[in-house]
Amino acid sequence: MRSSLLKPQLAAAGASFRERHGAEVAARVAGRAAEYAAVRDAAGLTDFSFLHKFRAPAERGMDFLDALLAGNVPKIRFGRVLHTFLADDDGLLLGDCYVANNDEEFVFLCEGIAPDADLRALAQAAGAAEAGLEDLTDSHALLSVDGFKAWDVVREIFGADVLGLPYLSIEVYPFEGAPVRLLRAGKTSEFGYLLLAPQSVAPALFEALRAAVLKRDGCLCGVDAHDDLRLEGRFPNIQAEGLRVRDPLVLGLQWMIDLDKEKFRGRDAIHARRAGGLRRKIVGLAAEPGNDALVTGARIFHAGQPVGEVVADCHSFVLNQRLALAVFPVQLAYSGLSFRLGAAGGPVVKTISMPPIMPRSLTVKLDEM
Amino acid sequence: MPDDFQSTIEQRARVIATFKEELIRRLNLPYSAEDLHEDISLLGSGLGLDSLDALEIVLCIESCFKIKIPDQNIAILRSINTVVDHVLEQQARPGGAA
Repeated sequence: MRSSLLKPQLAAAGASFRERHGAEVAARVAGRAAEYAAVRDAAGLTDFSFLHKFRAPAERGMDFLDALLAGNVPKIRFGRVLHTFLADDDGLLLGDCYVANNDEEFVFLCEGIAPDADLRALAQAAGAAEAGLEDLTDSHALLSVDGFKAWDVVREIFGADVLGLPYLSIEVYPFEGAPVRLLRAGKTSEFGYLLLAPQSVAPALFEALRAAVLKRDGCLCGVDAHDDLRLEGRFPNIQAEGLRVRDPLVLGLQWMIDLDKEKFRGRDAIHARRAGGLRRKIVGLAAEPGNDALVTGARIFHAGQPVGEVVADCHSFVLNQRLALAVFPVQLAYSGLSFRLGAAGGPVVKTISMPPIMPRSLTVKLDEM
Repeated sequence: MPDDFQSTIEQRARVIATFKEELIRRLNLPYSAEDLHEDISLLGSGLGLDSLDALEIVLCIESCFKIKIPDQNIAILRSINTVVDHVLEQQARPGGAA
């Protein structure tokens, strides 16, 4: 099993670990509620080194990545980041991806739901060697700073210049003489920054960020809290509903696809399903406070019949109720409806408009700081 | 299906269809109405629209549904569903626009 470069630091901090598709991840450090609160009110530092991390020279890398991914890679402007996905030949999700156009190179981050060996074989078969794709997975750490005060944490480390970075952009900053690629990107609804750091400086950067986060009443986080934050902010989560559903059309991920592209992995299958019309769709659900039965796998009933299934769930600490995503037939996939949970006479759950919360970060204008 | 259940669907579906059609036309989006999930983020991630697009969306809502969007109320513009919630809420008020 693949472990993070930062496992010693995380273990010393009391992290609990588990496996995700062949990689060891820090699941919890300070506790789910504390980590959630840190991100919503202050800042959290999370190790995302389990993602696959690559770079490729700009010219050869562009065509390679464009042939692989659903989004349009040549259209990514210098300094910007594209959020898209990698599918298999059946047009089903394999990876949630960021691709960054970093001037002379493309940086490619992939949160996969397939074993390492399968993804590497896929990349090789697609021409990774000819494209000059360099695998940074074992040589680099990937740290995520998220939260209402995340901007202040990265400003302390890298300077006020980071405040000018728009959402989904990339810039390189020196840290102890080594280049750190900083992507302004996150999936919590709060400010988010991903830092790709070489092994030589990763532990020192981790400690510097940790100190800056603690100074602002934040904490170290694990991936479990991110699952909650993603659902509450209605960011797609390939580890939750993505893994269970896998069809990007049912998941509502058409915005990640360039539908005019003539070639990408899984294209024909996706277009065939799209031409056939959407029959199922994912919708947000909320339970009454105190109803803890809204969990993944639960069935949803209407008029005495099962009509849907819960595919992701979380407890919203802000709303103090359970939230979920469920797949329904399209004719029932509307916000504002009441259904029964678990059985025809089960407790009432309601479909809701997502995202159901207003994050504090949306009230801050960094360009006015 | 109970009548109120079905009428909720029909009322919401009408507003969604109108808003999506106008959104695609005004912003020249390369998607069909069916491609746009109602929870998709309008600004930032998702459709990735900018502040000029946000202004166009506000104008679109105001002209299509004859309602006002309060200044600085970005919560309404977070997704198609949050826009539709606001439209339905305004239409349900006494004297609300049809």
